[in-house]
Amino acid sequence: MERKQPKAAITRRRLGGMAVALGAAAAWRPARAQTGADVAKAKAEGAVMLYTSLDTKIVDAIIKPFTAQYGIKVEYYRGGSADVTAKVLAEADAGQIRADIVDASDIGAFLAMKQRGLLRAYDSPAAKAVAANLRDPDGMWVADRLTQAVLQWNTQKVGKAPAHWEDLADPRFMGKLAYFSSSNGDGAPRLYTLASAFGWKLLERYAANKPLRLNSPQVMTQIIESGERTAGFLINDNIAWRSKLQGKATDYCFPAEGVPTELGAVGLPKAAPHPQAGALFYDWWMGEAGQKLLADGGKYSSRSDIAPPKDSPALSQLKLIVPDNQKLFTQRADILDRLTTIFGGEWGG
Amino acid sequence: MSASLAAPGTATSTAMPRRGGTLAPRLALGAGVAALLLFVGYPLLWLVLGAFGLPRGFGLDGFARSFTRAANVAPLVNTVVLAVSVGLASVVVAVPLAFAVARTDVALRRVVHGLVGLAYVLPPYLTSVAYIILLGPNAGHINRALAWLGLDFGLNIFTGSGVVFVITLHVFAIPYFLTCEALQSVDGSMEESARMLGAGRWGVVRRVTLPLVAPAITGGALLAAVNSLALFGPQAILGLPAQIVYLPTRIFGAVSSYPPRYPEASAMSLALVALTVAGLAAQRLYLGRRSYVTVGGKGVRPARWRLGPWRWPVGGLLMVPVLLAAVAPVTVLTLAAFSKVWTKAPTLDNLTLAHFQAALLDNQIAVRGLVNSLELAVAAATLAVLIGLAVAYLDLRTRLRGRVMLDYLAILPLGLPGTVIQAYVAMPVMQAFIHPPVVLYGTIWILLVAYVARAIPMGARSANAALRQVDASLEEAARITGASWTAALRRVLLPILRPSLLLGWLLVFIPSLSELSTTILLYSSGTETISVAIYRLNDMGQLEVVAALSVVLIGIILVALLLMQALAGRSRTAVVASAAGG
Repeated sequence: MERKQPKAAITRRRLGGMAVALGAAAAWRPARAQTGADVAKAKAEGAVMLYTSLDTKIVDAIIKPFTAQYGIKVEYYRGGSADVTAKVLAEADAGQIRADIVDASDIGAFLAMKQRGLLRAYDSPAAKAVAANLRDPDGMWVADRLTQAVLQWNTQKVGKAPAHWEDLADPRFMGKLAYFSSSNGDGAPRLYTLASAFGWKLLERYAANKPLRLNSPQVMTQIIESGERTAGFLINDNIAWRSKLQGKATDYCFPAEGVPTELGAVGLPKAAPHPQAGALFYDWWMGEAGQKLLADGGKYSSRSDIAPPKDSPALSQLKLIVPDNQKLFTQRADILDRLTTIFGGEWGG
Repeated sequence: MSASLAAPGTATSTAMPRRGGTLAPRLALGAGVAALLLFVGYPLLWLVLGAFGLPRGFGLDGFARSFTRAANVAPLVNTVVLAVSVGLASVVVAVPLAFAVARTDVALRRVVHGLVGLAYVLPPYLTSVAYIILLGPNAGHINRALAWLGLDFGLNIFTGSGVVFVITLHVFAIPYFLTCEALQSVDGSMEESARMLGAGRWGVVRRVTLPLVAPAITGGALLAAVNSLALFGPQAILGLPAQIVYLPTRIFGAVSSYPPRYPEASAMSLALVALTVAGLAAQRLYLGRRSYVTVGGKGVRPARWRLGPWRWPVGGLLMVPVLLAAVAPVTVLTLAAFSKVWTKAPTLDNLTLAHFQAALLDNQIAVRGLVNSLELAVAAATLAVLIGLAVAYLDLRTRLRGRVMLDYLAILPLGLPGTVIQAYVAMPVMQAFIHPPVVLYGTIWILLVAYVARAIPMGARSANAALRQVDASLEEAARITGASWTAALRRVLLPILRPSLLLGWLLVFIPSLSELSTTILLYSSGTETISVAIYRLNDMGQLEVVAALSVVLIGIILVALLLMQALAGRSRTAVVASAAGG
């Protein structure tokens, strides 16, 4: 074809044709994951729908420069990890996937989506900076952040500050504890992680102290800041960090015997309405600039080249307890039932 | 009269589309009927099929799992306890209030009457948020004031009684309006006879008046109880932190956890529908045994009691429930919306407009929510009134076969199954429209379907009442003088009906604008409503932004309410009461 038109300039139309051909060629080799996004197409798509469980203050900060740079509007659906996952699964049932990119602080959720065949492999150049054990071997998801679940307390009310998980089981905290989980079990993964390291008995002893359950870590820290409750277990490190930074009467610690770590991850749905824009945003989100903003918001980035949040210890200094994500996924129903038995209330199980 | 029109032997019913006449009227009516079947019949069918696990499989797993699990027994019991408590509490509040307003010359009775109406249109999830501000265990205004006085009653809104309290403040309006209406239509001559035979004032009340209005009171209490079943807002906002689970919050848990468990959620929805039907059946049974022709007759209007020096003290007492139900929530939300920190006093230092900026400009979910809610409420109100009009027309102006069935589907005298689907419409609609042949899940259309399904009983009731008041002879005259069916409709009937239809439209618009119970299960990204934004922001502890959004919502509701008042004039009570009944 091209030899017949030796003088043909590269017209817009031909460029488009080449892109289609290249795209088709890429799609033809199923073994090889797609790399990078087509910026022109992404701009033509013009919009990204992000499903996220991340605090909206951080999300807004990450979106702003992206939109400024590419002119692509980012809308988000924000809920807890279980909300986000259940919504994606329900939309998949309806054949109406609306998400272009999914972020949730629950690897079990990604295993569930992967098992349903909802995710597509994406070999983002930005993900290279993430350690191999924090990535799905098939490229369906990559960890974006590590949330440590810590101990938090009100400095004016606590007396002797707790340092170990065991300390909160003490009867002196009777009626003075707080923890969180929304009604669909958002708080379950970290409770399970704690239980698998130190025994379910510990949770039963917490329950004996009649802890107040809040819907989200954001409300939990408010309750501790106001002194409504004295101390709390398993709050997000970034929330406790921000509370202290803002000069509230709170402090927190990473117990030396071990800190449950929750991996958050990000992935691209196969049936995304804006696949290129989604991939482009993925690269931004996972890139150095995006992850730097994440760390500025108090989160530990999954990238090895991003420093911990201001005044926070390096992860290598902490004893991290990483849950068995496969078990978390396969035994989810049992875990939720068990938590319902121990704490009562609604866990979505 | 319209009744004679439908009777056999009437010469010719000229208002009816003539056989072989234009296709337009039949098409228009057919569309209304099809919409009714799609909005009400199809989802109800799928609620039952879904409980059996269809379309993914077929079995009794959903049923078995739902009713054998310990985790589902407590919600069932809690829900029944809630409904019974709300029913009783509503009567205790509503009956003295209604008696004083309808039968005495107590001061402030118009104010009280209007504020009960406001309490009824105020979304109960907003009242819940307001009472977190007022009665939160330590930080709540009332508890801090009591602590300042050295008192500690341990008042806590995050309890089972807190949920009953907030829901009662919303639904006591139903027995109130029904009792008011009944008290006003009691034939005064019966009471006078009793007086002349030597009965004392209280004796007359106890032995004549109360028995006469008892059906209205009981009916109102049962409707209040049935309404409380499905109010997700207070059950979630106040109940979940208290670890008290009700059927709607349990259903929400089953669907919003992963993997979503539709069969179990459907089976629990069926249980909720069964409770609703039981409540309504009890009401009908009760009413069926007592029909007092003296109520609703046109006899002597009973004289008002003169309270003399007690006019103002009693009036003050009557203000207590409406202050709690309407004035206090609106006030604290307004104060919080303009405060930097809601726990601090509303001084100039603490004054800010930043939360309105967040609610109306910055927070994308809040902004989308406002736009979506307005669009949905306008569309739902319009569709519900149009469908209602089509059904009412078929019933009252034609002799089409099967018309009665349609009327039943839309407005059985007590709103059954209208009320049933209104009670918990989310699961049926989700089950019906999440799979082929009609997939609406993930789009805003599924919300519209749900809203219309909820609103059809009210739309149909309003249209039916309006059409009954217009004699068919007017249209007949138009037809005889040569107007086509459409012209008669457009130029004679609709102009007469316009005020009533607009009133019906507003009656659908207001609850649709603030709908939460159904929306929370059906919304998706991009289709958030104002109620969802409020619920989610409350979850995130952003109480001040929640308050700002609430103020905007309440503002729109107030405008609609004033419009309604202007339209309805003095028959307002009857209209609101009939709306409450649907």
